[in-house]
Amino acid sequence: MRWLVEPGFFTNPVVGTALVLGAVVAVVSAAVGVVVVVRGQSFAGHALTDVAMAGGAGASLLGASPLLGFLLAGVVGGGSIEAAGAERVRDRDVATGVVLGAAAGLTALFLYFVSSSTSATGSTQSVLFGSVFTVSPSVVPLGVAVAAATLVALLVVRRPLLLSSLSPELAAARGVRPRAMGLVFVLVLAASVALSALVIGAILSTALLVGPASAALRVSRGLVGATLGAIAAGVAAVELGILASYDSFYWSAAHRSVPVSACVVAVVLVEVATSAAWARWGRGRG
Amino acid sequence: MVLASAPWHRSPWGLAGGLALAGVALCGCAASVPPVAPGTVPVVAAESQYADVAAQVGGRYASVVAVMDNPNADPHGFEVSPSVAREVARARLVVQNGAGYDDFMRVVEAASPSPRRRVVVAQRVLGLASSIANPHLWYDPTTMPAVAAAIEGDLARIDPAHRAYFAARLARFDAAVADLRARIEAFRARFAGRRVATTEPVGDYLLSALGLVNATPFRFQADVMNGVDPAPQDVGTVESLVTGRRVAALLVNAQVSSPVTTTLTGLAEGAHVPVVALYETMPRGFTYQRWMTAEIDAIARALSTGRSTRRLS
Repeated sequence: MRWLVEPGFFTNPVVGTALVLGAVVAVVSAAVGVVVVVRGQSFAGHALTDVAMAGGAGASLLGASPLLGFLLAGVVGGGSIEAAGAERVRDRDVATGVVLGAAAGLTALFLYFVSSSTSATGSTQSVLFGSVFTVSPSVVPLGVAVAAATLVALLVVRRPLLLSSLSPELAAARGVRPRAMGLVFVLVLAASVALSALVIGAILSTALLVGPASAALRVSRGLVGATLGAIAAGVAAVELGILASYDSFYWSAAHRSVPVSACVVAVVLVEVATSAAWARWGRGRG
Repeated sequence: MVLASAPWHRSPWGLAGGLALAGVALCGCAASVPPVAPGTVPVVAAESQYADVAAQVGGRYASVVAVMDNPNADPHGFEVSPSVAREVARARLVVQNGAGYDDFMRVVEAASPSPRRRVVVAQRVLGLASSIANPHLWYDPTTMPAVAAAIEGDLARIDPAHRAYFAARLARFDAAVADLRARIEAFRARFAGRRVATTEPVGDYLLSALGLVNATPFRFQADVMNGVDPAPQDVGTVESLVTGRRVAALLVNAQVSSPVTTTLTGLAEGAHVPVVALYETMPRGFTYQRWMTAEIDAIARALSTGRSTRRLS
């Protein structure tokens, strides 16, 4: 066991907070991610991470809770992308790109003021790439509450959403209003991005959103199966990433740790690659 | 803003001021630089503590501007503005720390090369490598006398008519630093060997001059200084130093806060370990020697009476 889990892993309070928050975030990201992948909204999801990033930077400028910053910006930004309501795919693509660029510019401005006129340090690192090991334990209750609300909202809109993405005619026949559904979903997406931004940073939260979901969708048949698989893959990625980051302290004599976000993304990549290989070769023989 | 001798500070840079300035920069208006007082040597110092020493040596024949003089901002996150480039372009003497701490100065100097400008780099004056791990050289009591002597030499070369005046000002500064050294020796005699914890390596040179033992792993201090998250193992080590009361005081960089330092300060308060603010750049209203004296007195107070000093005044 010593070679796998280095000493102090289960007794370190910093690690405990990270494991709990990481698992909660992974569940939400994976469940939302399945719908994102099915609806083909990965790029919109990424644009939201940039909007959330601006919010996180603004929050650290004002000294507010980063989760609130991520959340507020994501909801406002996502709501306005959706309200702009570009119907054609190309218009939508361009609108998303413009919002993304503007948000990144705003982030640069906010982070400049953070470093030039406040005493906060490391904000660039924690907003962009996350710092789950420094999250205060007092954030956990708020994080869990946001996660629960997001999952409930997702459960409510999931069926009509998927129906309208897979078969718009059938959905229209059943009286589903695609615009309203889209709006609710963008809010759900914003909340999920805000949560994962806390753990692996705003920029990398796309990886946690899309990676486990796409891996699970490749290997499982039904959407329920895919969702459960994505949740398992997401939680595994975050917890293994945290473990690897903790253990990496002992890999070099200088005790230089690998950041959690890099470890989590590495595990996600392995999952995606494995699922692709399995779908290509494993299934044929089985 | 350029003023003759002592009060060289910029007007306070609040957040609103910064935002307003950004607005000005965005609308394309040029940043203006006030004129230098006639008959004085224009001097730019990268940090306010070097500006203070330059002003003490240069007296009324030097107009000193400090580039980084906001004691509320983290100097490691400093970004240079166009007005700094203009001030450096017309300066005859530039004073900077080196050791990678103020690399932006090299960039600004290279942008306006001038054979008439002399540059004093503290790290080079001390004969140190630019890769030295702890760049906060001004906390070493031997640094400023050497830098002041280098400043005096360059001022005398730039303005030979006032050579004697600069030499007399340097002698006065050296006398003030001798008082500081006596105070350090008295501290050492009383407290040498006591253990303290820090959040950053800002004051480490002073701590070793004072004979104190810094029990914090250097990796942790460097991570906080560089704005990266320290490893949870190191966070655990430092937190247990404080909660187990295995250190006599926690010395916190007053200019840098992060979730890690905030948590640590809270733990110290809970464990009744006194907290002392170490400023990274010189706080306003101080001279270099008064600042160092105030820091030493604050640490002595923490070690003898357990009292915290969260702000120098």
